[in-house]
Amino acid sequence: MTSSTLDPAGRKARLAGHLFVLAFLAIWILYSSLVESYVMPGPWLVFARLGLMFTDVHEIGHMFYSFAHIIASVAISFVIGTALAFLAHYLGTFERMVHGRLSPFLNSFSGIGWTFLAIIWFGISDVTVIFVISMVLIPFAIINMREALANLDQERIEMSVSFTRSGWRRFRLVILPSLYPFMFATIRISFGVAWKVALTAELFGGNTGLGYMLNLARQDFDMPLVIAVIVIIIAFVYSTDRWIFMPIQAHLARHHGSV
Amino acid sequence: MAAFDPAKKTAGLPPMKRFLSHLSAEGLVVLAIVFWWLLSLELPEIIVPRPLKVAEQIWILFSDLKYIGHVAASTIRVILGVFIAVVFGTLLALLPHWFPLLDVIVHERIKPFLNSFPSVGWAILAIIWFGPSHGTIVFIMVMILTPFCLVNVSEGLKEIDLELLEMARSFTRRPVVVLFKVTLPLLMPYIISAVRIAYGVGWKIALVAELFGSESGLGFLLQQAQSVADSTTVFATCLAIVVIFWVGEKIVINPLSRNFSLEKIGA
Repeated sequence: MTSSTLDPAGRKARLAGHLFVLAFLAIWILYSSLVESYVMPGPWLVFARLGLMFTDVHEIGHMFYSFAHIIASVAISFVIGTALAFLAHYLGTFERMVHGRLSPFLNSFSGIGWTFLAIIWFGISDVTVIFVISMVLIPFAIINMREALANLDQERIEMSVSFTRSGWRRFRLVILPSLYPFMFATIRISFGVAWKVALTAELFGGNTGLGYMLNLARQDFDMPLVIAVIVIIIAFVYSTDRWIFMPIQAHLARHHGSV
Repeated sequence: MAAFDPAKKTAGLPPMKRFLSHLSAEGLVVLAIVFWWLLSLELPEIIVPRPLKVAEQIWILFSDLKYIGHVAASTIRVILGVFIAVVFGTLLALLPHWFPLLDVIVHERIKPFLNSFPSVGWAILAIIWFGPSHGTIVFIMVMILTPFCLVNVSEGLKEIDLELLEMARSFTRRPVVVLFKVTLPLLMPYIISAVRIAYGVGWKIALVAELFGSESGLGFLLQQAQSVADSTTVFATCLAIVVIFWVGEKIVINPLSRNFSLEKIGA
């Protein structure tokens, strides 16, 4: 995309992109001036509410709770999903069990279903939220890590066998580094999905986090807050992907080959 | 997502290993049900209902006229949502292909925006804007599913052979003919993969949407069961969705993707 800034056609497209954003804001302002603020609040109201969110200790706390839920679930699902993918890869007996039974089942079980079951089992709590997000993420982790193991370069492994007979050394120095790009891609995808699931899980089954705030705002018809929370999520998901995950992935691709 | 193909995977294995592979797979299913049954004996019914009762409830969902209505309502919404989202996503992907000026608008503004918009956010906004109705639920689904389709079809547009398109243009000057005779057939594998993803996500989204704004559908049933702590129905509804999802994938999605696979298209 950087090359498009140089040629005239690309520059025009970029200009069109900026105009699009301006048009979007203009329509928002116009529409919000025509309807009541509980239907569609204007941008100013939303930004004022956003500013308020970042000064209120309580509300900053909720953001941190959401963040903690997500980090915990991404870690848990990554460990479980990777372990299952390894089990299926190295012990062929379990391949059908993991990829033929467990993964499709988890994949078709809805997040809301997990939420309601978790509410019955664990009540409305942080455990419920982390459980739900983890259950939704595990199939993603299994599928991605399966792809990673299937793509291992067999010749490289064969070569490493000729260098050492220690399985652990081979795993640590050859297999693990070739898996880095896929592991990273798994975490990146999990992170993106986790944000969306977290909001649903917190809304129904949590008493902390942005989803919980969203639920309160919805009940009070506090539209500025509803939109402010959505804006925070969009900004966060987009900026972490663009400025944290993409550069790291590019770095890994240079060192370990692309995914 | 590559589907697991058991026939191919175990064909080369010796009989003993093949037996063990089946044993561990079916064993897991049996073990899970036995474990569930044992738990249901120990714990109160409200926490873990009996497997048999849940099975009975699933049967009622598919046989009792009142419940069939809910199942059908959700299914129709999913089909409609997926269909509109695929058409909409494909159109959005084709726009910058036809008019390069729109490239930044579609790929750097609309795509990331829709992609990072939380699904609950759409649900809440749509209910407030349009009130609860069938249209609202389909709207929520379309908004959430469109970016998946857009990403897939754009990926396809990047891969298709530009020389083939050039050749097509040398045969006719009518862009509509090129679109229907060349571009769309070449894109078919990617559109089908978009349908597959949208279908998978669609079922999950339909539930969320129905929880907020509906008086019919499986999401509504789930909500109702949860509010009266009827965990048998909660379990049954969750499992019923797994069943419907699986059947739909087997009888619609898999044949579709076999008919339009890359090899069949000859790309």
